[in-house]
Amino acid sequence: MHKSIAALGLASILALGVSSGALAAGEKVSVITPFLAAIATGEMIEAFKAKAAEYQWTVDVVDTAGDMAAFASRVEDATTSGANAIVLVSVDPTQIQDQVDKAKAAGVPVITIDGAKNASSVLNVTSDNYVLGETMTKFLFDQIGNKGNIVRFFYSAHPGVHQRELALDAALKANPEIKQVADHYVAVPGQVDDSRAAMDAMLLANPGDGAINAVWAAWDEPGIGANLAIEAAGRKGIVIAGIDGNPQAIDLIKACGAYIGTVRQGFGEMASIAAGELNTILAGGSAKADELYAPVELITRESLGVTCP
Amino acid sequence: MTRTNLNRFGTLIAFVLLCIGFSIAAPAAFASPANVFNLVQQMATLAIVATAATLVMTISEFDLSVGFSASLAAVICFVLFGQGYDVWLAVPAALLVGIVGGAANGVLVARFGIPSFVATLALGTILSGFAFGLSGGQSLFQSVPDGFKSLARGDVFGIPVLGFWIVAVLGVAAFVLTQTEFGRRLRAIGGNAQAARLAGLPIVRDVIVTFAIAGGLSALAGLLLASRLGSVQHTMGEPLLLPAYAAVFIGTTASPTGAPTVAGTLLGVAITGVMVNGMTIVGVEPFVQKIMTGVIILVAVLLRRVGRAR
Repeated sequence: MHKSIAALGLASILALGVSSGALAAGEKVSVITPFLAAIATGEMIEAFKAKAAEYQWTVDVVDTAGDMAAFASRVEDATTSGANAIVLVSVDPTQIQDQVDKAKAAGVPVITIDGAKNASSVLNVTSDNYVLGETMTKFLFDQIGNKGNIVRFFYSAHPGVHQRELALDAALKANPEIKQVADHYVAVPGQVDDSRAAMDAMLLANPGDGAINAVWAAWDEPGIGANLAIEAAGRKGIVIAGIDGNPQAIDLIKACGAYIGTVRQGFGEMASIAAGELNTILAGGSAKADELYAPVELITRESLGVTCP
Repeated sequence: MTRTNLNRFGTLIAFVLLCIGFSIAAPAAFASPANVFNLVQQMATLAIVATAATLVMTISEFDLSVGFSASLAAVICFVLFGQGYDVWLAVPAALLVGIVGGAANGVLVARFGIPSFVATLALGTILSGFAFGLSGGQSLFQSVPDGFKSLARGDVFGIPVLGFWIVAVLGVAAFVLTQTEFGRRLRAIGGNAQAARLAGLPIVRDVIVTFAIAGGLSALAGLLLASRLGSVQHTMGEPLLLPAYAAVFIGTTASPTGAPTVAGTLLGVAITGVMVNGMTIVGVEPFVQKIMTGVIILVAVLLRRVGRAR
């Protein structure tokens, strides 16, 4: 057993050794998310880190892989460890209100990127998710002539994604000739594979031509999974649209397959805006507002200048 | 220190060394009273779920539904809050669902002879479906009474409320396992079920009761987690499963016989809790944290096995 003590001791020394790089000079900013595996979240965090490097901040990134209890614990750890600021990415702070309140009480400013406004956080930078959902839904419905059958891939646990779903609900109500024939609550992480499997099943359950006309993906990764299933099944006459402006989705749009559109969220811009505002806050100033929006853009073959055969 | 003492206290010494290491690396943060307070809070729900796993492992079975039970209990409680029910009805109702779910696991295992891995995974999946359906897949955080929040927040004389839950639950579990006839029967069943059956022990009843207790404890952990966070997601308990069993396995390295014990499980929970907390505080990259946590579990269990083989 003395060997196990040595091994554990060695591990702790390694831990401390690895940490030495993180204890550099500058403001210490803790970036915490439960969803680092999502491409958009990763993009925001990378963009934030790039801006943080310009400001010479030390950034610690923590991912809890969908575990909200661990997420709450890591926010507590960041508060205790004397972080100068906490940045929460892709999460509604209401889900860990007590921990956000404690950070505020300890004088640690909390900002969210792609999250939600909160009384104890100083800023949320996001896109207007309802507008995102509305823009994508209108485009998708127009593409199928405002009638036909759609399937929905959704994830209501994310507050922003839920707003997009509400936009779809409103559009379905306003377009009675469009029916939702199936839906799937996407598993996160593992969203692409999960969505592919779900789409496989939906295609089998709705086999005829025109049984499914469109796939409404609350964000691009489920749409990419659905695209894989449609390609594998060789089904024609189904179009897909998503949200986020994921580079893989844009490639698929260019490839003239089922994927026809995405609404680009300015993830990089969100992170840049958040970092800029945080720099002001750390210097003793205040954010311009408690919620700021980054611009959005509908990306289609037309906007990309692609002509399909 | 003799070899026997090293074998017996090695894991505890390793835990102390970890604490010392992190205290040296981040003295102002890791060793601060505020962080100790945080650590106790962070470990509590895992400690309770791991205790449920310990009870079931004592009879040489597994319960893979613990995380699902925790989620469902929390969802039921918050749904009832949303319909205007108060704490005194919602909390017992949620606990009852956990106990009934656990008892159902026990019936499947003891009465129908279904392997516990299969039975509890199947029933757990059913429970997760109910949690999903009741919550609509959304995060629930409205209409939560202050009385519920106080179950797992704040402190009494500077000690976090969740610390009292750890002492109460683990204390009772340790007492039952080591000092009661029921506990001795469970250890006998786990040691040799065939011999226990031939000796006339009420195996079916004891297995059902053990799973029911595990279900109740899992539900309790889910409720405490919901109280601590102030919100509920239908998958919130699922991440507790693997760390709970990891804690039990680490704990067995501190047991003279290699059998699961409540004290050993608490030590396993403390080691995993301190590892994650300490590495976060000193700024270890997330991927390194995962690698090192896995390595620690593997090394601890492997060396214990090698040591026993000698």
